[in-house]
Amino acid sequence: MFARLRRLLPAPISPELRAKLRGAAKLSSAGFDTYGLHPETLERVLRWTRWLYYSYFRVEVEGLENVPAGRVMLVPNHGGQLPLDGMLVGLAMALEADPPRFVRGMVERWFPSLPFVSTLFVRCGQVVGDPENCKNLLERDEAIMVFPEGVRGSGKTWWHRYELQEFGTGFVRLAIATQSPIVPVAVIGAEETYPSIYDAKWLARLLGIPYVPVTPFWPLLGPLGALPLPVPVAIKFGEPITFSGDADAPDLDVQEKVDLVKRRIEALIERGLDERPWLRALDPVARWGQ
Amino acid sequence: MSVLVTGVSGALAGIVTRSLVEQGLEVAGLDVRPLPMGRAFAGEFYRVRHYTQRRVAEVFRRHKPRILIHLGRIRGTAVRSLTQRYNQNVLGTRHLLSLAAKHGVSRVVVLSTFHVYGAHQHNHLMIREDAPLRASQIFPELTDAVELDHAATTFLWRHRSVGTVVLRPAHVIGPNLNNLMSRLLRSGTCPSLMGYDPIMQFIHQDDMARAIVLAATAKSPNFGVFNVAGEGVASYTHAVRLAGGRTVPVPHVLAYPIVGALARWRLIFPQHLMDYFRYPCVIDDSEFRKAYGFTPQLSTVEALRSVGQSEGIPR
Repeated sequence: MFARLRRLLPAPISPELRAKLRGAAKLSSAGFDTYGLHPETLERVLRWTRWLYYSYFRVEVEGLENVPAGRVMLVPNHGGQLPLDGMLVGLAMALEADPPRFVRGMVERWFPSLPFVSTLFVRCGQVVGDPENCKNLLERDEAIMVFPEGVRGSGKTWWHRYELQEFGTGFVRLAIATQSPIVPVAVIGAEETYPSIYDAKWLARLLGIPYVPVTPFWPLLGPLGALPLPVPVAIKFGEPITFSGDADAPDLDVQEKVDLVKRRIEALIERGLDERPWLRALDPVARWGQ
Repeated sequence: MSVLVTGVSGALAGIVTRSLVEQGLEVAGLDVRPLPMGRAFAGEFYRVRHYTQRRVAEVFRRHKPRILIHLGRIRGTAVRSLTQRYNQNVLGTRHLLSLAAKHGVSRVVVLSTFHVYGAHQHNHLMIREDAPLRASQIFPELTDAVELDHAATTFLWRHRSVGTVVLRPAHVIGPNLNNLMSRLLRSGTCPSLMGYDPIMQFIHQDDMARAIVLAATAKSPNFGVFNVAGEGVASYTHAVRLAGGRTVPVPHVLAYPIVGALARWRLIFPQHLMDYFRYPCVIDDSEFRKAYGFTPQLSTVEALRSVGQSEGIPR
C-alpha cells in the first residue's frame, strides 16, 4: 500500500538534472558554496517545488534565451504576498535553462530571524539583500534576482495588482558598478495566488512584520484558506539592458535608467495580460476596489 | 633571532613554537598558565600573573625579541569575571605592544578572532576586514575581544616602524585545542538552536599555526589586518555530523532564557556566543591568501573529521 502511495508523490528529480545542478555550483568539500547553497537540500526541495511549478501553477516561460550567461540581474515585478513569484522565476532558471542556473534571490533583512524557513532559504541559495552581497555575487558571475519594489510590491492588495510600486535606485547603481546586464522579468498570475483585499497594518505592526494580508479565504477558512490559489503563471524574460555611465551619478540621472527598466517590465506585463483575457476581465472589479 | 610568544601554554602556540624552533629561531614563552604537563618547551618559559606585570618588561630586556607573537588572548569561557578578562586582554595587550615598540621589536603578530564582527541577522556574507566590529555593541561580553583588536590595529597605524599583522581567524579547530568549538565537536553531543543552522568556517589547528608562522616570518611581509579561514563553509549541523556527533536542537525561545539564567555560573554554554549559532558570521579571507600566498592544507571535511576522531589529547 505504501508503495502505491509513494507512486502518488512527486518523483525525485532525474539524475541528469542532478548532475547538471552539481556541476553548476562551486562547492566546498562539505558540499556547500560560500553563500550557503547546498545542492543536496535543493534537490530534495526541487522534488516538491517542481510539482508546484509544472502541475500546480502550470508555468509557461518565454524569453529564457534573453538571460545571458555570466553575471546578470533579474528584475521582476513583485506581488502576491508570499515570494512565490521569486520562487517560480528561480525554478524556471533551475529547471528549464540549460545549463541550469542558481538564482540568488535577495531576501528581506528581517528574514534570517525566522527559524526553519530562513535556513531552508539559505540552503536553496537565497541571501540577505545587502548591497555588499549583490556586488560580491555579481563579481562571481552569478545570477541574482532583486525586487526593487520590496515589500511595497509584495504586500499590495489585489486591487492594485500589476501596478508597479516605487522602485529603489540601488539596483541600477549596482548594475553599472559591476557592469551587469539587467533582465526585466514579468510574472503574470502570481499576483492572484493570494488576492489580498485588506492589509491589516495594525496587526502587522503588532507582530513586527511588514504586512498581514486578508484574502476572501484567509483567515476565514483557516489553514485551507492559506493555500495559494492554483492560478496558471506566465513568466516573461525581456531583453537584457546594459547600462554604462557613472554608478555614483545623482539620483535624477539614475532615475531615468530605473524608469526605463520599469517601462520594460510594464510592457512585458501588458503583453502577458493581453494573452490572458480572463485576467483583464477582472479589471473593472479591481478599479472598483481602489 | 629571538621570538617572544605569549599564551605559549596553549596548544596552538605549542605548534607555532615548534615550527619556529624548526626554522632555527630562538623562542621565549610567556603565559599566565603553567606549561601543560609533559610538554617540553624548547626555550625559556616565563609564567606571569598578568601581562601588565613589570616582569614582562624584563623578558623583553633579557631576550631582545625581534618578533612578538601575541596569542595570549583569554577566551570568554575560560575566566569567571569580565574585569579579569578585560585587564588581561586589553590592558595586557596594550602593555605588550608598548614594550614591543620600546624594545625595538620589528614585527608583531596579534591573534584576534572573527567574533569581533558579531553575529547579526543583518550581516552580509563574506565580511571583509574593513567592516565595522559590531560584536561589542551586540554582546558587551565581547568588548575585551573588540578592544584587543582595536589596540592592535591602532598600534599598526601608530607605529609604522614595527610591522604589525592582526589575524582574525574563523573557528580554529583541532584535536588538541580547548576552545568552545573544538570541545563541542569532540563531545559528540552538540546543542543547536532549533530551526537555525548558520554556515560556518573552520580552520584546522595546523593550518592556523602555519598562517601565524607565515605572518611572523615571511620574507616579504604584508602588514595589516587579515581574516583567516579554512577551505570552505559548512553548516553547523553538517559540521557536527562530519565530526561524528549529533545535534540536540533546543527551541531558541527556551534556550536563551535558560542559558541566560545559568550564565552567572557559566554552566551549559557561554551566553554571548549563542548568536553565532543562530546567524552567520562568514568572513572573506581572500586578502590573506593573496598577501601571503596561503592555502589551507586540510579541507573543511578533513579538519572536522580530525577533531571528531580525536580524544583530545594535549600535545
